[in-house]
Amino acid sequence: MTQQAYMRVENIVKQFGPFMALNGVNLDVYPGEVHALLGDNGAGKSTLIKILSGVHQPTSGTIYIDGKARTFRNPRDAASAGVGTVYQDLAINQLMSVTRNFFMGRELKSKFGILRMDEMNQIAHDEMLKIGIDFSDPTQAVGTMSGGQRQTLAIARAIYFGAKVLILDEPTSALGQKQQMEVLKTIKRVRARGDIAIIFITHNEIHSKLVADRYTFLALGQVIGSGPKAEIESQDIRRLMAGGAEMKDLEQELAQI
Amino acid sequence: MSERSESDRLQRESWARRMVRRPEIGSFIVMIIIILALAVASEGKAFNALGLKNNIAIISQLGIIAVGAALLMIAGEFDLSIGPMIAFAGMSIALMMKWGLPFGMGEATPFLAFLITLCMTLAFGWLIGNIVVRSGLSSFIVTLAFWFFLRGLTEVCFRLINQNTNVSGLPDFKQQSWFADLMGGEVFGWFFSAWYWIGTKISAGVEMTGDMTREQTIAMIDYLSFLNINRKMEMWVTGFDARLLWFIIIAGAAWFVLAKTQLGSWIYATGDNKESARANGVPVDRVKIGLFMFSAFCATIFATCQVFDTNSSDAAKGMFKELEAIAIAVVGGILMTGGFGSIIGVIFGAVTFGLVANAVFFIPWIDGAWFRVFVGTVLLAAVFANERIRKRITGGI
Repeated sequence: MTQQAYMRVENIVKQFGPFMALNGVNLDVYPGEVHALLGDNGAGKSTLIKILSGVHQPTSGTIYIDGKARTFRNPRDAASAGVGTVYQDLAINQLMSVTRNFFMGRELKSKFGILRMDEMNQIAHDEMLKIGIDFSDPTQAVGTMSGGQRQTLAIARAIYFGAKVLILDEPTSALGQKQQMEVLKTIKRVRARGDIAIIFITHNEIHSKLVADRYTFLALGQVIGSGPKAEIESQDIRRLMAGGAEMKDLEQELAQI
Repeated sequence: MSERSESDRLQRESWARRMVRRPEIGSFIVMIIIILALAVASEGKAFNALGLKNNIAIISQLGIIAVGAALLMIAGEFDLSIGPMIAFAGMSIALMMKWGLPFGMGEATPFLAFLITLCMTLAFGWLIGNIVVRSGLSSFIVTLAFWFFLRGLTEVCFRLINQNTNVSGLPDFKQQSWFADLMGGEVFGWFFSAWYWIGTKISAGVEMTGDMTREQTIAMIDYLSFLNINRKMEMWVTGFDARLLWFIIIAGAAWFVLAKTQLGSWIYATGDNKESARANGVPVDRVKIGLFMFSAFCATIFATCQVFDTNSSDAAKGMFKELEAIAIAVVGGILMTGGFGSIIGVIFGAVTFGLVANAVFFIPWIDGAWFRVFVGTVLLAAVFANERIRKRITGGI
């Protein structure tokens, strides 16, 4: 790869008291690539995301952004370094309009805090159109949108507010089949822009194969496998996802019951 | 693969349909029904010159505190301390006007008494807000504690300073003090002047004469009352209570903030889902504390108007007012769970409640306690209606 990694994570260790949540994790993410982060429950995915987005501080290890070492003391630091996180709950308010959600906490205002509503409506509409949803009426409540559309809103928002690394925390879980495909399409569209690195956290092997360029597998706080798509075989994926357990062994165990 | 996308399933609606689906529509219809029913049952007396003035007075009074309660409810919190806050503020102002400023700092002017009282009530609001956001306790229980605390404190202060739980017969400060006049005097006199002027044109030539029968005289007085003319053929009512001005200012400001400003967006976001609001950088705690202070401010304005209007105060003032304020907010379409509602609806609710509370004065045969029966019924209906609205907006989730 000739390109430089936008974000480089080196030897991240995170301890909660005696519990070793992450034990020396490395991760490189490149602009215009989807980096799938896979692993079973409790593998340390959530802890890693929280460190990358500034919620937790690592016990040791370094995060490099554009080659420079950075420390994130809080989510604001991470956001200003260009790390945008779209959590599972999406941080979206159902009763509020699409526009008000899009700009929540970062409203465009003129004197005396008066909102520039028309401008905000226009931006929300245009930004969502760019990654695939044509919303005729951005004043409608988010509660009327489908789960996939809500994902798109949250992703469009993160990009608009300067995310260069987009962390998607299990964006396809808790969605119906069709909406999952919508979200994957959205991910592809963001990837096609070429300037944004995507970290795609998922449980779903099929989804990761559909969009990922690069993989990292976590198990028990350690990286047990990583590399570009071409180097990782489909059989490997299944084995690594299960935390290194052989599928055959599992089948055998199941058969014995 | 069809060309249809998810967003096609939501159709744009016509203007009329959007109006019907507005959340304020329920409270608007109830208000219209009450206005018509009251006009018929009182034979119009509820809306003659004096009737209108009195009705607007109580509507404004209830409306002032309902706006404070409504903003707080949109942000997802309750304030049960509104009533006691009214009593406390009324006590504080009245005692200062009677006995002078605290610590022997000399005579009080109405404005100074108000200012010192406002500092105290805002401090209470700040304290309540801080306790709620820092402890994470339900505001219901925290403000219930302050309900008892402030009611007790008010009575204790009255007894300690005044040896009596009421102050009455204060001089009429409206004569000398612009501030007392602004709070307890009359406003919009031009409205009644115009009414009287039109009245004189319509009634030109009509006279009250000594040889009329009793029935004729009563009919004549009735007739003139709709023309703002008294039995001496002079102007009858000269202005609205100053409360109306304050209601307009407070409701107008609250509407503007909610609909047009960043702070308004933050208030909605705080009440809807405070965790996601916080994750997006909304200062949730500061919003809540500020709104508890605003609620205290509204209660203080209520009390100040009352004291300078009646030149008296007592420890039982503001009884049940917190519950009425919350009821008005709910009837006005504010969700109990927060995150949704408009000030327009609250205004409709205040009109409805004010008219019904006053109805006993215009319909002699009605028992005043029906007011509470009505409140209970409408409140329950409103909660169900609001829940339907919430489900519709959130797509039934």
